[in-house]
Amino acid sequence: MEQIDFLRLRFGLPANWLEGLKLIKEQETIFAGTSEVMQFDRLKPLRRGIRLCRLFPHSVKPTTFAMQILGKSAQKNLIEVNDEQAKGLINGSAIEIDARVENGFVLIVWQGFVLGVGLYKKPVLKSHIPKVRPVE
Amino acid sequence: MKELRRLFPQEFIDRYSKFIPDFDIFLEAMATPLPTVFRVNNLKATPDKVLPLLSDFQPEPLPYYPFGFVARKGEGLGKTISHFIGLIYIQDAASMIPALVLDPKPGERILDLAAAPGSKTTQMAAMMNNTGLIVANDISLDRVRGLIGNIDRMGCLNVAVCRTNGLSIAKTISGFFDRVLVDAPCSSEGTIRKTREALNRWTVKATQRFSMLQRGLIRAGYQALKPGGVMVYSTCTIAPEENEAVVAALLKRYPDAEIVPFQLRGFVTRPALTEWEGEAFPEVVKRCCRILPQDNDTEAFFVALIRKPINGTD
Repeated sequence: MEQIDFLRLRFGLPANWLEGLKLIKEQETIFAGTSEVMQFDRLKPLRRGIRLCRLFPHSVKPTTFAMQILGKSAQKNLIEVNDEQAKGLINGSAIEIDARVENGFVLIVWQGFVLGVGLYKKPVLKSHIPKVRPVE
Repeated sequence: MKELRRLFPQEFIDRYSKFIPDFDIFLEAMATPLPTVFRVNNLKATPDKVLPLLSDFQPEPLPYYPFGFVARKGEGLGKTISHFIGLIYIQDAASMIPALVLDPKPGERILDLAAAPGSKTTQMAAMMNNTGLIVANDISLDRVRGLIGNIDRMGCLNVAVCRTNGLSIAKTISGFFDRVLVDAPCSSEGTIRKTREALNRWTVKATQRFSMLQRGLIRAGYQALKPGGVMVYSTCTIAPEENEAVVAALLKRYPDAEIVPFQLRGFVTRPALTEWEGEAFPEVVKRCCRILPQDNDTEAFFVALIRKPINGTD
């Protein structure tokens, strides 16, 4: 799928970043999971694997949960943040940061771990991390 | 000690002092708040990378699980960034035992029959290194939402979430799974250390009601197992009606089901009962394990490991 190639190139991911996984498109969302999970259709599963990305007419948006686990080896379009910036982004704030990345979707990195997905338009980094509960 | 006994209903004391050894020590442990225990999610990180981020919480390793740690200062652990991004999962130590006893292997097919909120599902996904298939089932839509949230947070790629009545699951899918976990809904007496809510709604009648449901679930789980497969039946409760009696009912229905003895190095367990209130259980039921709060500083739990013979009856 071209959208998947776009993500790989955007974040400098290795060619095998989805090795062993099967992808299924349901409406405008692509899910990723093991082939055993994605082939399992008994018991009418509500969910198989995790959401990899959402498709829009002119763009593709990776999900925070997928990139936390599958984006670990990303090399490009990463923005590193400190504790305070991370907490602000988790709580839904936008921050100003001067980063050497392209405008568009980026991966926010904290202490070497992918914190989630953000949208960067220099110099503003807007959080796209699902707001679950506040982090102190 | 009288003060301590006043914290519990008299009927609770009368029932359980009959078979729980060192009963006052047991009550004292039950009245003491639980320590905060967590496991490192090895799908995302190794303990050597995560523990330095949590040094304020003074983590110490559990002797029986390399990914399990007790936080000596646990307050606020659930509000850390590490928790938010799924590097850790807060879970009582006794609740980690059923998955360790079931011991799922990479590439296998696993059924978690009553899976929400997903503590054991996500633990098993990590033990399987995100391979194979875990069917995580729960009947409650609200609880399934929480289950999906935890699966996402922990990055599990090998889980299919279903919402089926566990009692009838084998009508659709029997003889399919390598391993089955039936961590059954129960009266939750073992969780009193976490919240006194279980004690406030405690009645003997409730344990009997749960027992009926549990007998159906253990049977359904057994039917879903493929020949030669293994199942763990567990509860976080003390009542023999919900534990030994449920296993005995399975043995009555499937006499060739094998109760498998097990041990975890560094973790203290006690043998299960062979008699309760005039009902004698088969001697092999003693191979099931009771986990008492005073032995490992955990909740109370019950765990049974059951194997379906290769040529077993369905």
